[in-house]
Amino acid sequence: MIAKWIGKRVVMGIMVLFIISFLSFFLMHAAPGDPATAFYGGNAQLLNAAEKARIYEAFSLDRPIIQQYSAWLSETLKGNLGYSSREGRPVSIILMERFPNTLLLFSVTMSSIILGSILLGTAAGMKTGSLWDRGLSIISIATSSVPSFWLGILFISLFSVKLGILPSSGTMDIRGDGGLLDRLRHLIMPASVLILTHVGIYARFLQESIKTESRNYYVVVARANGVAEREVRKGVLRNASIPFLNYIGMTIPSFFGGSIIVESLFSWSGLGQLTVNAVVTKDFPLLMGSLLFTGLLVVVSLFLIDCMMYAVDPKLRKGGLK
Amino acid sequence: MLEISGLTIEVDQKPIVEQSSFSVPHGKITSIIGESGSGKSMTVAALLDILPPGGRVCGQALLNGMNLLDYANKDMKALRKSHIFTIFQDAANSFNPSVKMKSQLYELAGRRMNDTLSQFHTKMENVLQDLGLSATLMEQYPFELSGGMLQRSMIACAFYIKPKLLIADEPTSAIDVILQDEFIELLKLLNVEYGTTILFITHDLDVVVEVSEEMVVMHDGKVVESGKVKTLFERPQHSYTKRLLNSRF
Amino acid sequence: MKSRKALIFWCALLLVIVCLTVFAQFISPYGTNEMNMDRIYEEPGKNHVLGTDHLGRDVMTRLLEGGKATLSIAVVSVLMSLIIGVIYGGISGYIGGFVDVVMMRFLEALIAIPSVIIILAFQAMMQGGVWSMAFIIGITNWLVTARIVRSEFIRLREAEFVQMAKMFGTPTWKIILQHMLRNSIPAVFVVTLFNFAGAVFMEVSLSFLGIGVPPSIPSWGSMLYYAQNDILIGAWWIGVFPGLMIFATILAINFIGEALKNPERRRLNA
Repeated sequence: MIAKWIGKRVVMGIMVLFIISFLSFFLMHAAPGDPATAFYGGNAQLLNAAEKARIYEAFSLDRPIIQQYSAWLSETLKGNLGYSSREGRPVSIILMERFPNTLLLFSVTMSSIILGSILLGTAAGMKTGSLWDRGLSIISIATSSVPSFWLGILFISLFSVKLGILPSSGTMDIRGDGGLLDRLRHLIMPASVLILTHVGIYARFLQESIKTESRNYYVVVARANGVAEREVRKGVLRNASIPFLNYIGMTIPSFFGGSIIVESLFSWSGLGQLTVNAVVTKDFPLLMGSLLFTGLLVVVSLFLIDCMMYAVDPKLRKGGLK
Repeated sequence: MLEISGLTIEVDQKPIVEQSSFSVPHGKITSIIGESGSGKSMTVAALLDILPPGGRVCGQALLNGMNLLDYANKDMKALRKSHIFTIFQDAANSFNPSVKMKSQLYELAGRRMNDTLSQFHTKMENVLQDLGLSATLMEQYPFELSGGMLQRSMIACAFYIKPKLLIADEPTSAIDVILQDEFIELLKLLNVEYGTTILFITHDLDVVVEVSEEMVVMHDGKVVESGKVKTLFERPQHSYTKRLLNSRF
Repeated sequence: MKSRKALIFWCALLLVIVCLTVFAQFISPYGTNEMNMDRIYEEPGKNHVLGTDHLGRDVMTRLLEGGKATLSIAVVSVLMSLIIGVIYGGISGYIGGFVDVVMMRFLEALIAIPSVIIILAFQAMMQGGVWSMAFIIGITNWLVTARIVRSEFIRLREAEFVQMAKMFGTPTWKIILQHMLRNSIPAVFVVTLFNFAGAVFMEVSLSFLGIGVPPSIPSWGSMLYYAQNDILIGAWWIGVFPGLMIFATILAINFIGEALKNPERRRLNA
């Protein structure tokens, strides 16, 4: 039972990664110019014939494209993602450097958003027709319509330029010795921008789920028989959280997209900014590596969400209705 | 036990129940009979403070001298909770599908009797067994149980609590005849053994005859006639009552 | 928010924005690329209502012209997404069975990929102009439309009047066109509306990152690209106004979409 469920998820994940790799690989080869140069690293001219031959060999650059793809694939699975054509360093190392920053930003923002939406959504959803209810609906649409980078620009304008209290870029002080407080000062604006522009819609979705769930028969029965409101609320939330988790899962990919933009604005040295730079400098190995890696992150997060759904919904666990 | 007088219910300015008055005598089974739309379920909703938004009520519903319709009164809430238990029409959907039975049964029955969890466990197990249900049911989820089992679980709560007043709102409409009979037998048992006053809402005249001693006939939001079942059957006064009786055959 | 008046307000706002961009040349006195190196970074004032940028160009003019680029890219891409989505979702929903399952699994895999990633990959390959941007955004935004069309088709397939039409031997293409498509229009319209907001957002984001329309063509997003640096020297107006326009446009679309989304629910509550 559980094996079948995990199996399905794993297959999906692999499919996704394949599609991404296909896409990036073939696009790279569709680009004008000799793709071989991309593999040579930053200083192609400096490589001697033997080294060039070795790279040719490893990536099968002289053979038909399908074979190139499978060669690239096997190298990738071994952990060799090639060399960045701009920096000359191994792609995998660059990715590993940047990954923790993106992870930090993502986990802080995502957990704040989920927490915030639970608090706001529950308050609004359980008191139908109240000010909370209508207020949240309007505010959520308004806040989610704000382009995140515009909000970022406004923040930078206010807090960095006018007031000078927050740094406008980077993850930490250049000298690297700022400590926790410094890290926080750098984190707070990018995180706030992401949180403020997203918490509205998530909260609203949860609110709607709760409202729908509250119309269920069992809620009326429980209330009529004097069951404590707190318990009723817990039960409703449990059921409403299933479509909510589903919604989070569906929107995580676009959330990743949004964080890429924010990373760029704040020069937050994470994977998102890396990807954008790779596009601008046409650094194909790096681009392919980071696209693949980001795809992997998305797949893993989706898997985590699925695990959460499994934990919350007894129907999934017990294998369906009687 | 329960005295209703001048009960008027409006939802969104539309009149649902007008100036209803009847009484539910102590220790007996009273039925309210009427077709759908007669206002009988709304009457129950008013007593329990679960009217839909936009609902207005006036009149009196005296339980032990206190007015159930005084919603704001906290003592009223407490009274309602300690004296009344309600079984609703659709037992299968009366439970939250994602919460284990034991938690739900505890919230419905154990907690209001101020029993600890372990006391509740033992007591409830006994009650369930008396009703022919296995104690393993407590560890299961509602979606794993059949409609009949769920209904019996609801009745189990009633037997556990032994409320002063049990309200059953069309409990037999959604189930098959065998379960129906079973349910009626259990209700009668509750009444005979523990003296529980029962208010039974239904549209089925046959059930009324089988179950109750007193009846209240509602039509179009008004109480048309009320009194002992025998009396109404032998000498119906109101034209609607007569029509109702005639339609049986 | 739930009243007719609100809906009319937002539609009017959207209309105003569209008209402003369409009639940009008639509204502002300056040329789009008219540079005036004596007047760079001027604050909003008498001569330039919204100030000037780093090359002395009038911000308002560029703002209105930029709207043309952004909005037309959005419109074209949405039309593309609509067509692709309807075809994909229609086939999947109408045929059903194994084909449907396969198509949907594929769709779910595609949804798992952040569209930004696909677009980045495309952009790395082709640095095109307005049209290629519209094409790229169109190619990535059809997923939700496809889902909605599919669920509508599945729902309608079982409907009585469709069964009857089949019994009468109506040709399949007629059934699809007249019955199923026509009845899917409300749902598809709402999705397309939200897609439009998404497309605007996409174009703006990409141009902001510097990988959207080429810098010679003004768009709201590219203006914000320059604004990144301009704010650091205190020229706030270059960033605030384009953002305001984007915000207003997306806000209007979202409120309109919300109002149109729940007509049945409101009727039920009454």
